[in-house]
Amino acid sequence: MDGEKYSASLIRLWRVWRTTKEMMNDRGYMIVEDDMSMSLDEFSRRYAREDGEPDRSRLNFSCQPSEEMLAKYTDAPSKKNPNPTPNIGTIWVEFNADENVGMKQLREYMAHLVHGSFHSGIMVTVKPMTGMAIRLLRGATSITDGPKGGVEVFVEQDLLVNITKHELVPKHVLLSDEEKQQLLVRYRLKQTQLPRIQSTDPVAKYLGLRRGSVVKIIRKSETAGRYASYRWVI
Amino acid sequence: MPTPYPPPRDMPPKSILKNKNKNATVSANAPPGRKPANPRHLAVARHHASVLEDRKRVEGEVLEAVMTLMDFPTSPDADAKRPSPADAHLFQKAVIPFQPADYDALIEERNIADKCGYALCSRPKKKARSTARKQFVDTDHGVEIVDRKVLEVWCSDDCAKRALYVKVQLSEEPAWLRQGGYHDKIELLVENEEEHGQALPLRLKQEGATKADGEDEDEDADMNAAWAAHNDALTDLALERGDKPGQLSKANNDLIQDHITERASSNAPPQAPSLPAQTSDHTMAIEGHVPRINRKDEGDDDDAQDWDKHLPG
Repeated sequence: MDGEKYSASLIRLWRVWRTTKEMMNDRGYMIVEDDMSMSLDEFSRRYAREDGEPDRSRLNFSCQPSEEMLAKYTDAPSKKNPNPTPNIGTIWVEFNADENVGMKQLREYMAHLVHGSFHSGIMVTVKPMTGMAIRLLRGATSITDGPKGGVEVFVEQDLLVNITKHELVPKHVLLSDEEKQQLLVRYRLKQTQLPRIQSTDPVAKYLGLRRGSVVKIIRKSETAGRYASYRWVI
Repeated sequence: MPTPYPPPRDMPPKSILKNKNKNATVSANAPPGRKPANPRHLAVARHHASVLEDRKRVEGEVLEAVMTLMDFPTSPDADAKRPSPADAHLFQKAVIPFQPADYDALIEERNIADKCGYALCSRPKKKARSTARKQFVDTDHGVEIVDRKVLEVWCSDDCAKRALYVKVQLSEEPAWLRQGGYHDKIELLVENEEEHGQALPLRLKQEGATKADGEDEDEDADMNAAWAAHNDALTDLALERGDKPGQLSKANNDLIQDHITERASSNAPPQAPSLPAQTSDHTMAIEGHVPRINRKDEGDDDDAQDWDKHLPG
């Protein structure tokens, strides 16, 4: 039995790691296919220590955005800015092994991101961060010493299962800036007239949606087959 | 069939659709011909915006303070009992906007960084005897079982006392709601109090300046004079407020003292209060006033004409 052969924490981390890889793939980063379907056997061979416990420091990885994603995150060219640069770049994913994560670890992590010139980062922690660290994170995009794209923090427990694979979760697709403008012109709307979605929504967190972007939600419909709605991230 | 009112030739038929060029600008900030904002609504909106802004500013301040206090004290060999004046002053100033919850967060952050929870202590936190989650502790009333986390907060009981002494002085009210700003003074439990003259402007001026040995005595004298003046001013203020000496002052926000002074009771039987001695000629006095009619020492002759004097003309 697998459950007896491997320690519970290793199995747990294997699932977390797989979900993280799937999440990066869904966001549009380039991920090796094998990583997402890695078996527990393989995972334990590569990332377990001798005592059967997972070695978190070996799990950290970085990934590059794909061409498609770069295009999606590039603003439409305007008069002011005829050659816009994409608002996305290399991301660093770190699995923190500390029991308690506070401002100290968060600051070290942000310094590491800036030092390694990563655009953004994701930290996966064992337990939820302290309140002050969350407050620091909320203001981190305005703090000059943080990375450009900001830092996201996930708790391992939230990544045990991939929520987007649940049958009740509809498909969410981020619109690029150009698509958003087309949508607004097509329906003669201001963006404030769209329905909204919070950026703290689980799926919005999963996709790393930023404030002001528009997401297309495609649901199954009994009468129409498919039904698309659009939501503005606040 | 001709229509009864044919449209005039020179005018194109009027469209029932909305004006096209009006809708062309979808994302325009303000539609043309918009009514000017109601000044009252504008004022309300401004007010709320400034309240939110203030709140954000205070929260930022607290965050900054926690960040600096995490790395306190500035020197690695600082003593919690006798902190350096500069550190103590900074600490006092930084915790003023704190709520007790923020202070708890500071202690938590310091513990994560493996430091004693008291910001003026440089020692690491105490280690529990084992890594078990629950620990046995011997107390006065038998053995207690407590969380390991509770044990590993302070370096010593003394530090815990000093840190909690600060915590109980913090205001529960969020700093952005405090009326008239927030400038209550936080007291520290220190043993070198004479070195911390933060309340005096005199001290503030000289803080940080290196002083020669000869100046030391002068400064001490100045300090004492300043303290004396300060105390005098406080007594005057207390008198003005109507405080009586020996009573708890009305403006006092100190903690209640734990030493109790007992009044010595005398065994003499209580005396009934006596009226002030009355002389015989004032027996007719009504609350101290003797009506004229009963006065013996004044002549009655001009009294009869009294009513006349007050008449006009």
